Amino acid sequence: MRELTVLYDSQCGLCRRAQAWLISKPKYVELAFVPASSDEARSRYPQLNHDLTVNDLTVISDEGAVYRGPKAWLMCLWALRDYRDWALRLSSPELLPTAKRVISTISQNRYQLEGLGSVVLKGAR
Amino acid sequence: MNVVVASYVLYLAISIALTVWVARTLHKNGRVFLVDVFHGNEPLADSVNHLLVVGFYLINLGYVSLALKLGYAVNTAQEGIEALSAKVGMVLVVLGAMHFFNLFIFSRMRRRASVTEAPPPVMPDAYTPVRGYNHA
Repeated sequence: MRELTVLYDSQCGLCRRAQAWLISKPKYVELAFVPASSDEARSRYPQLNHDLTVNDLTVISDEGAVYRGPKAWLMCLWALRDYRDWALRLSSPELLPTAKRVISTISQNRYQLEGLGSVVLKGAR
Repeated sequence: MNVVVASYVLYLAISIALTVWVARTLHKNGRVFLVDVFHGNEPLADSVNHLLVVGFYLINLGYVSLALKLGYAVNTAQEGIEALSAKVGMVLVVLGAMHFFNLFIFSRMRRRASVTEAPPPVMPDAYTPVRGYNHA
């Protein structure tokens, strides 16, 4: 596996910040970012159900393996040099259920979290 | 030769012999770890192994030399043996600590290498055709 394509929600500030963070980190596997449900995403993956990619982060390997939701997050961590050990740790049978729950919660509330984040930042100023 | 000099000579002989023994054990048994870490690249493994052993010798022999001076008078053979025992005991403890430190380094290198090569931690949810990749 040489590259992972990340179908992300380009409307969400939190996701764009996460994208910038991922881009800035050294990687084992390259990450290509394509907005979810965009024309580019549809032309790249004509047979994928793109409605599912709108709500959940989706990662697709260059071999066509599709990872959705919390698994997609873990695959992004796995791609990073400094965080692969974290991806492995969080995927252990003991931690995976908790990791999935936390990631789903963040993901479902991403727009609210974004608002909260900017309020906190303003307060700190 | 008085008791102090005799205990110094014995101390050096025992300490150096122990250091050589531990270093050789490390050198012989650490190689397998390193060959594994460097994916069978034996020249590199041997080189790193040798460098580790050199560091081990330098630190241990340095400690042995620094700890040689007794600092108090020894008159009888009993006192000589007690002083010798205390000194050699310290050398053993330092050697043991160094040995475990080396083992720690070996195991950490090995774990690092296994993380670098770990396959994806989760199974894919589905497969989708990708241009230029043939699902055979």
